[in-house]
Amino acid sequence: MNMTVAQSAAVSSARPTQPAGAKRQMPHVPENANEKISVRNLKFYYGDTLALKGISLPLYERKVTAFIGPSGCGKSTLLRILNRMYDLYPGQRADGEVLLDGENILSPKQDKNLLRSRVGMVFQKPTPFPMTIYDNIAFGVRLYEKLSKAEMDERVESSLRRAALWNEVKDKLHASGQSLSGGQQQRLCIARTVAIKPEVILLDEPCSALDPISTAKIEELIDELKAEYTIAIVTHNMQQAARCSEYTAFMYLGELVEFDETSRIFTTPSDQRTQDYITGRFG
Amino acid sequence: MAGAAQAAPGRTAVLRKFRLGNLLFLNLTRAAAVLVLVLLGGVMLALIEGASPALREFGFGFITSQSWNPVTEKFGALAPVYGTIVTSLIAMLIAVPVGLGIAIFLTELCPTPLRRPIGIAIELLAGIPSIIYGIWGLFVFAPFLQTTVQPFLISVFGPIPLLNAVFAGPPYGIGILTAGLILAIMVLPFITSIARDVFSTVPPVLKEAAYGIGCTRWEVVKNVVLPFTRVGVIGGVMLGLGRALGETMAVTFVIGNAHKISASILAPGTTISATIANEFTEAVGDIYTSSLIALGLLLFVITFIVLAIARYMLLRLEMKGGK
Repeated sequence: MNMTVAQSAAVSSARPTQPAGAKRQMPHVPENANEKISVRNLKFYYGDTLALKGISLPLYERKVTAFIGPSGCGKSTLLRILNRMYDLYPGQRADGEVLLDGENILSPKQDKNLLRSRVGMVFQKPTPFPMTIYDNIAFGVRLYEKLSKAEMDERVESSLRRAALWNEVKDKLHASGQSLSGGQQQRLCIARTVAIKPEVILLDEPCSALDPISTAKIEELIDELKAEYTIAIVTHNMQQAARCSEYTAFMYLGELVEFDETSRIFTTPSDQRTQDYITGRFG
Repeated sequence: MAGAAQAAPGRTAVLRKFRLGNLLFLNLTRAAAVLVLVLLGGVMLALIEGASPALREFGFGFITSQSWNPVTEKFGALAPVYGTIVTSLIAMLIAVPVGLGIAIFLTELCPTPLRRPIGIAIELLAGIPSIIYGIWGLFVFAPFLQTTVQPFLISVFGPIPLLNAVFAGPPYGIGILTAGLILAIMVLPFITSIARDVFSTVPPVLKEAAYGIGCTRWEVVKNVVLPFTRVGVIGGVMLGLGRALGETMAVTFVIGNAHKISASILAPGTTISATIANEFTEAVGDIYTSSLIALGLLLFVITFIVLAIARYMLLRLEMKGGK
């Protein structure tokens, strides 16, 4: 496996072998940040339509990276490549490289189930499985780990606590996951994702269907989770991007316009389009 | 009313027309709904009335006796009831797994270009008239079973106790097993097309979420698709079972029409509907006719019980799913 990675790196020697960000006009690459995921010259096709036009950017370990941009710019598409969700649909394909800890996850040899257990995803709409609250969390854990009843109970509780849901559901763990409110369902989905101990968490507009209180809870949660996980969040809410993320990528029409520290993007963006978007002049 | 009085005079006339239309619509739809109840009650009453001479003559013994003797005018329904249930059971044992398998393949795994041809083939299968299944069963399928499958079953299960009784006897070709197999083919398209339709109602994002935590396709189907659609799937299975219980023509061709119960499923038997279809022309005596109608009543009751069990199962499932 390492050989193939080395080979593919050699083939792509034209591209920078340094962290992709270093060579572009991206001044502040922190010394202590590892690239957990490196996206390199990524193109994506829906059938014949080119949806991503050669994107390169890093996701730093234990940082939150926000993706902003108008609808249809390719943010969600990019996210769905990172766990190869697009593979479920014929006619969608990706070109380029996405390195997770140095290994190209786009290679056909990549085990998709393993990848998805390492790169968890939370969707725009809450998606509780048709089972009890307890099983919603235990189900994913059971796929990869053999735990005793007590260990499983503990895992379920700690996951629910992490998702700030434990106090609301501890007395009805065996009620259907679908009986919860929208905000609770979304936190259940986050708990479920956290429970299988992924390395990266992808959040695809996790708060767009939620009320402000649930949104605040989830943002707090993101803040806590980044101590352990690498997080990518797609959002239409500029304040949310500014509040929760360290890095922000602004995308437009399938291109990465700008990637930088969030504070810079929102104060001194270098591209006019970014400036226009964050000030609400288009999009 | 006050609003109407205040409105311009032109409006009052329009409003009156609206009210009339509304009233007419309400009553028409209500009448249509009541008609169903009346029809159901009428059929039930007619069956009970027609069956009462036989039921009075034989009492409860009508259900427990398996003698069916037009000469001595002694009639018992056990053999056809047994045949009906066993053939339907065989049909469901085969058609449910195969039908769900086809539906899962079509919705989850099938390459897109194959999807339509297979779907259409399934629907065509449902469109074949049962008489065609009957003649095909009698002239093609039964001889095939007689020369290949049945001797094989007899020789394989021969040395095994208990099972050798189930697969005993000379290979007639026609019999309970053949009828069950034909029924399986006949109900397969119903189960498949309903299951396919309900499987495709699972929101893609729910499946993605399951794939997103690292499930394989099988785990997604088992833990997300099937639980999500269980109500619809059970409905489809029950519809298939209803068809299998009542199917007449094809079964009459291949079951052998023998009023006896044998342990072997290779032996000829009969079903309720096959008996009625075979014998209504020769039923001369009042008791004979009445016994046939009583058989019809029994079929009605069996179907009703099956539906009731299905409802109960759904209720239990919903309680367990906690919704």
